[in-house]
Amino acid sequence: MSIEQQYQARAKELLSGGAVKMVIGYGKGTTGNRRRPIFISSPDDVGRLVLDDSCIINLSGYLVSEGLLSDEKRVAVFLRPEGIRAINILAAESQLDADQIVIFGFDVNDNELRALKGIHVEEFADVIGSIRENNPGFADKELLEKIEKMTAQERFAFWQEEFAKCIKCYACRQACPMCYCRRCIVDSNQPQWVNTSSHSLGNFEWNIVRAFHLSGRCVECGNCDRACPVNIPLRLINHKMAVEVLGAFDHVAGMSKTQEPVLASFKKDDSETFIL
Amino acid sequence: MTKILLIDKLDNCVERWKAAGITVIGPVHRANISVYAAVEHASEFDFGLVLPDRSIKELFFPQTEPMLRYAIKKDTIDTIECMPPSGPRIIFGSRACDASGMAIDDPLFGWDYKDTYWFQRRNESVIVTIACIKADDFCMCTSLNMEPDSTKGSDVLLRPLENGKGWLVEELTDRGQEAFTQIAEFLQESADAPAQTAVVEKKFDLEASVAWLQKPENFDSRFWKEISMRCIGCASCTYLCPTCHCFDIQDEGDTYSGVRRKNWDSCSFALFTMHTSGHNPRSTQSARWRQRIMHKFNYFPGKFSVNSCSGCGRCSRQCPVDMGITETLQEISKLSL
Amino acid sequence: MTENIYNTQPNIYKPAIMKIVARQDEAPGVRTMRLEFLDPVDHEYFKQTFRTGMFGLYGVYGEGESTFCVASPETRKEYIECTFRQSGRVTSALANADVGDLITFRGPYGNRFPIEEFYGKNLLFISGGIALPPTRSVIWSCLDQREKFGKVTIVYGARTVADLVYKHELEEWQERSDVELVLTVDPGGESPDWKNRIGFVPTVLEEAAPSPDNCIAVICGPPIMIKFTLISLKKLGFDERNVYTTLENRMKCGVGKCGRCNVGSVYVCKEGPVFTAAEVSCMPQADL
Repeated sequence: MSIEQQYQARAKELLSGGAVKMVIGYGKGTTGNRRRPIFISSPDDVGRLVLDDSCIINLSGYLVSEGLLSDEKRVAVFLRPEGIRAINILAAESQLDADQIVIFGFDVNDNELRALKGIHVEEFADVIGSIRENNPGFADKELLEKIEKMTAQERFAFWQEEFAKCIKCYACRQACPMCYCRRCIVDSNQPQWVNTSSHSLGNFEWNIVRAFHLSGRCVECGNCDRACPVNIPLRLINHKMAVEVLGAFDHVAGMSKTQEPVLASFKKDDSETFIL
Repeated sequence: MTKILLIDKLDNCVERWKAAGITVIGPVHRANISVYAAVEHASEFDFGLVLPDRSIKELFFPQTEPMLRYAIKKDTIDTIECMPPSGPRIIFGSRACDASGMAIDDPLFGWDYKDTYWFQRRNESVIVTIACIKADDFCMCTSLNMEPDSTKGSDVLLRPLENGKGWLVEELTDRGQEAFTQIAEFLQESADAPAQTAVVEKKFDLEASVAWLQKPENFDSRFWKEISMRCIGCASCTYLCPTCHCFDIQDEGDTYSGVRRKNWDSCSFALFTMHTSGHNPRSTQSARWRQRIMHKFNYFPGKFSVNSCSGCGRCSRQCPVDMGITETLQEISKLSL
Repeated sequence: MTENIYNTQPNIYKPAIMKIVARQDEAPGVRTMRLEFLDPVDHEYFKQTFRTGMFGLYGVYGEGESTFCVASPETRKEYIECTFRQSGRVTSALANADVGDLITFRGPYGNRFPIEEFYGKNLLFISGGIALPPTRSVIWSCLDQREKFGKVTIVYGARTVADLVYKHELEEWQERSDVELVLTVDPGGESPDWKNRIGFVPTVLEEAAPSPDNCIAVICGPPIMIKFTLISLKKLGFDERNVYTTLENRMKCGVGKCGRCNVGSVYVCKEGPVFTAAEVSCMPQADL
């Protein structure tokens, strides 16, 4: 039995027995290699679930949709390791109760799909732990090296050109499981913290505010990067912040559901280079 | 024998137009994305694109533009109008869907109250469209009863030659003719045949879909919730759409001076219709997606006798969760059987 | 090549400048301002175009614009009065503006109450809370030519006594013999010396039981009040076509372009804000 079939069978069982009220997974998309999020509530529909190496979107953000978990019923969701880390962060930040989440874990290595054993988030500790030991890091090594070699001025010019393309569609925010705020800071106008216009100042403000808000929280799932309709390499910024946070606080985001949010907690041995 | 323009001569044309003070714009690559932008040389153009990632809309209705500057003084307030940079432009190498998109929005920006920002740019632009000889999985102009060589909104239509060396020239409007008169010496007579235009498969039944949308009871159909469940509520589809025209008006400045700007806005956003009281007429994502589809295929045609969609397919092509107009109308076509 | 095939007209986004000549606190957080045009050309345009029911976009540069009705009647065009509740960024800035300060105004926009069609008829005005201003514009338009109308009844309610707006005018209407004023506050909202009704507007309306014969009703209020008042009016025998109301939706442009105020296919800014109840009932109710 393929992993897809195994997971379909498990979904059917969970839905029939009422153990979960919904399975959030992947279905066929518009074109051959596109997969789209689907929401299965009836055991009769599990045949629509697809699982292969084209299943890339991190689906964890749907779990914090308004009202979904408020009835305390369980919801199942297909997740890669990044998505599982996202569940840990959402639980640590009190956005969901991890016990309500049933995980259909999977990963793709060298184009090979494999199932991850476990149901609840804590059972994936080993898989997640290995990320810490063996951080796969940023996929586009070439771009990363190019950026690292730049002078500060060159880097500024690079980002200036990239941010100039931003149209403030907020696809990055909407696609991000960590951007769950009911009212984003850019949508507050008393006071108007961030210019809403997508001119160069407004675009810098937005993208930098988002990078800071994701520091120590980003699981590098790449949802923002893929969602961006103007191809800004957003993941690169978040990766850079993750590297900084690792260096400064020895913190990798999403390791457990009790892990304290790094920039919202204080430890006595925190490096104090930024405190005067 | 018909008039043709050879690709080899295009640089001469660009030079000639530029010498006449005309800004020449076309499909180019800029910072890892394809857009319509001003060029210095013809070599910058990429006519091989199915269509640029970003639509032609921003040339007429930019993502943000200053409308007014204000200066508050003791006994008066000065308002200075900021008009768009003036001057003639030739948009060379538009696609039929993009060009028609601008014509679709003309009546909206002009009913009773004319939007000077839009019309100044419309008035100063010549759109030279190149008929498509290839399409991708998301192109859907034929589903909107248009074709890859539709002329709506274009001033000149170019048909690629079969030999790939240039285009057959069809001047459609006086201003198109005027623009091509300036480069007459680079045109020539030829019997070369035009290439076959792209075959764009019909993806949905527009008439059936529209009939379904017009039935009042379908406003409350469960369909809206089901189709939009995965919508994440970003504005990618609306901002890339050539015909989506919604905007916000925002002030930037202080108590003494500043700018009032017109910025793109989107019906996908919850804040778009939120009253100060907190009441929101379109409080759910399904209500917002319904609004977008209804607006394009029911309300807009009701006002202006034309669908607010030109079939470019950018909404589906770029959607982070694989949604879009095509899929929605395909599903509606099925419902209306 | 710049032949002008598109006729353009003056910039529709450029506001007129108005001076605050008086202001009055109506209720907690609610204020009325009287405004006069600085430029006689703008004033002349207003005088020629304004009709009761139309709205404007009132603004403070640096903060933005906010939409509300012109609360003064078409019979008094020397100034504009507007009444607003301080709730958002723009209304806070407007509330901070003093007599003598300058603000911006765009409009008047939208449609109007067909007041000539009301000639010879009885009038019933029903209003709740901060929604009296649009009704007040119609009330004064009619009272300023009182002889043209039959019986005039005004039913007005607010949450508490303090929340009643235009208190001086309420007194004036109460004293007039040619106006019947029914005032009410929600249960618990009465003050110790409150001598008028206690109860919700729809209930009080049913008790007052105005006759639907040859009568036009104008109702403005929060959505929930409108909903139940329409039911009461139906019970009393009013025809939906003789019941008028105004819709207020979020707007940015006011002129049918920015795309947010529509209810179904109806652009409130251009086809409204004044509608009959019959027209409103044809709109998709979920979008209201």
